[in-house]
Amino acid sequence: MERSFESWEKEVIRCIRCGACQNVCPVFKELQAESTVARGRVKLISGVITKELDLTEGFSDKMSLCLMCKACVVNCPSGVKVDKLVEAARKEIAEQKGLSLLKKLIFRLVLKNRWVFNTGMKAGSVFQGLVFRKGPQGQGMLPRMSLGLDKRRLLSPLAPKSFRSGYPQVIKVSGAKLRVAFFTGCMINYIYTDTGNAVINVLKHNGVEVVIPSLQNCCGTPVRINGDYESAKEMAKANIDVFWKEEVDLIVVACGTCGLALKEEYAELLEDDPIYAEKAKKLGVLVKDFTELVVSLEGFADRIGHLPMKVTYHDPCHLVRGLKVKEQPRQIIKSISGVIFNEMQKSDTCCGSGGSFSLAHYELSTQINDHKVNDIKQTGAEVLVTGCSACRMHIADGLHRQNVPVKVIHTAQLLEMAYTAKNNS
Amino acid sequence: MKSEIIQRLTEIVGGDNIYTALEDLYCYTYDASFVKADIKKDLAGVAVYPGNTEEVSRILKLANLEKIPVVPRGAGSNVSGGTISIGDCIVLVLKRMNKILEIDRKNLIAVVETGVITGQLQSEVESVGLFYPPDPASQAFSTMGGNVAECAGGPRGVKYGVTRDYVIGLEVVLPTGEVINTGGRTIKNVTGYDMTNLFTGSEGTLCVITKIIVKLIPLPEGKSTMMAVFSEIDQACETVSEIIAGGLVPCSLELLDNIYIKNIEEYAKVGLPTDAGAVLLIEVDGDSEILAKQIGKIEQTCRRLGAVQIRIAKTKEEANELWRARRSAFAAVSRVKPTIIGEDATVPRSSIPVAVRRIQEIAAKYNIIIAILGHAGDGNLHATILTDATDLEEAARVEKAIDEIFVATVEMGGSLSGEHGIGRAKSKFITRQTGEVGLEVQHRIKQALDPNNILNPGVMFGA
Repeated sequence: MERSFESWEKEVIRCIRCGACQNVCPVFKELQAESTVARGRVKLISGVITKELDLTEGFSDKMSLCLMCKACVVNCPSGVKVDKLVEAARKEIAEQKGLSLLKKLIFRLVLKNRWVFNTGMKAGSVFQGLVFRKGPQGQGMLPRMSLGLDKRRLLSPLAPKSFRSGYPQVIKVSGAKLRVAFFTGCMINYIYTDTGNAVINVLKHNGVEVVIPSLQNCCGTPVRINGDYESAKEMAKANIDVFWKEEVDLIVVACGTCGLALKEEYAELLEDDPIYAEKAKKLGVLVKDFTELVVSLEGFADRIGHLPMKVTYHDPCHLVRGLKVKEQPRQIIKSISGVIFNEMQKSDTCCGSGGSFSLAHYELSTQINDHKVNDIKQTGAEVLVTGCSACRMHIADGLHRQNVPVKVIHTAQLLEMAYTAKNNS
Repeated sequence: MKSEIIQRLTEIVGGDNIYTALEDLYCYTYDASFVKADIKKDLAGVAVYPGNTEEVSRILKLANLEKIPVVPRGAGSNVSGGTISIGDCIVLVLKRMNKILEIDRKNLIAVVETGVITGQLQSEVESVGLFYPPDPASQAFSTMGGNVAECAGGPRGVKYGVTRDYVIGLEVVLPTGEVINTGGRTIKNVTGYDMTNLFTGSEGTLCVITKIIVKLIPLPEGKSTMMAVFSEIDQACETVSEIIAGGLVPCSLELLDNIYIKNIEEYAKVGLPTDAGAVLLIEVDGDSEILAKQIGKIEQTCRRLGAVQIRIAKTKEEANELWRARRSAFAAVSRVKPTIIGEDATVPRSSIPVAVRRIQEIAAKYNIIIAILGHAGDGNLHATILTDATDLEEAARVEKAIDEIFVATVEMGGSLSGEHGIGRAKSKFITRQTGEVGLEVQHRIKQALDPNNILNPGVMFGA
């Protein structure tokens, strides 16, 4: 039996409305209306469950105003799982009211079908020059015309060739000490192929054999958190089937959101499925973030070159609060000689991206991002390191809007640069 | 709410600072109390977020003219139902007025707007070596205006007193729209009635607080923390009385009962014996030289009265570890039952042992779980009722038990509320403490200032 919306009442009543979430909710910080803080969302959800409120358009709007950053969840004295509640509400909305036509098209036709996605992205990479121009310092691109996107919005271009199409399925190393499967995620596959390359190079350097299953799909999180459980389940099952066949020691990810889906959320999503629930749990145990894997490799910090640069680090929400990875990337950064590492204030506050949130609420997501950019500026860093491609794109956009010349890279890229520096010295 | 009024309010605060949608207004039907609003009856007509004193004044003039109830609200974190919307009212949210205007080191005062977060003021003044002691549990998100309106307390009350002891001046808007200043920037000030003290703790019934002048004190040099475990709660209570009678004043003296201890241990594994009757968490502060001496004396008292285990923190980390038990208290018991109701009946310090027994008897009588955690040093006991709001039969027993705790508290010479306020939650009990005439006097003050009864009607005086 799939969990009913009403069954979430047990979670809802655990909220004692103390208001502690006001202290951490990035959306509330900007909007200040009670309906935009976790406590308000929970109250609204309870209203719909108890039938005091209907599933109105207004309710849908309020539910869309959540970044799913989990800041309220870890800060809640009663441990209310606000993110799960909002997701359940979005699922109820999708089921009762249906998805918007655009979302339906993207979720059901594109993300779910790898070949449609691939073909679309390939076409996109060819034609994007017509509508976008290059951004400053060669980073990113800006819309030439209004596309329903803000014209100031710095987007990263689609890679001319997807990441996965550039590699064989197995990247062999001689005398491999470990064999891992790489779940690339969409942004690394289609946009930030440089992150993907860095992951491969670093792992190769450390004697790890990497398998990149070519039939892997989008992890399904964008679909699931927008309430389309039907598609999310299909995508989860497809990925489980693909990775189940691989004989590997671990599954490595370079994105906290994908990682959390594979590690925990598939098992929750498929808990009623007699076959897949068990498989999802077993695969989940194997999932490690790239940085978790690297710091566990003996001698990863040997043969590191000198890299004189000022660096700061941004904690992606789903990496720090989802996979609970906080120290590992810092350990990597600090292991590189020459790097001056300055922590920014509130490094674990959401950058405002929230994946599709930044498309639906661009203005608001830039306001949230402004705080992040200011905190980055305060550190005097030349390079911002982070562990999530969505954060990377959103922060790069914010830095560009405010004319801050800081480069944004993934932790894997920093380490790759450090290894390269040694080889060149 | 008439569209004409909405229009006028929009002109005052601007279109971005006014809310009229059902889903927005629904979120002002609660605060952190267990008071339940009836959505059919209590939904507000509008919520407005003014940006300055003048806007507040114009809103109140309009409301007074039109006789529209106004519910002032800060972070909505009070636990007595003082900020819940009532019918077709204006919810007046003061969070936009959030600037620290001045930290004056020469006069040891700070001047803040009403919506400043208390914790933010604290960290600002502490960064220059000063101290604003009142520390309600909500300090990280509650507002100074709300703290003054409720006269908030906190663990440090035992040594440093409560919000009232620090407020020396206010700017307020009266229900009729006039702006007045009370008190001032001086420690000594006896010009006229002490309006500052009258407005502090007035729960939004007499005025809307817009600016606050607080006095500051030098930040104590250091702290020392210890924990004492007792097999019987009576021993712990007696220890509290002895420490105080011995002339020692810790800055925190927190008591946890067995229900808390068991759950904290299960949840946070801090090394408490689960069969212990009570734990005292004690902290002293001041000049570094005297800390060890103070803790030593307290340790002796604890041992003499039967403490079975004593832990004294040697480092900051160890102190944090001891506080972890207290900090995880809430999360720990919230796993037991889904609904947690925190009460704050307060008794003279010497009556704590009796009060604890009475609460335990009441819990047994109504067959409900009541855990006790208290700022024992100042007699402020937080009876924590662990229940399930969806179980209506139990909810009825809980309500009776709470009523009985109030009655017992007043019988012991205590106060219905130490720091949470009367609000809508306890208004029906108020005469037990004030007497009929006492309440009548308060009523006359209310009428003199708020002839149309527009400000937070129902709070303190009942519906």
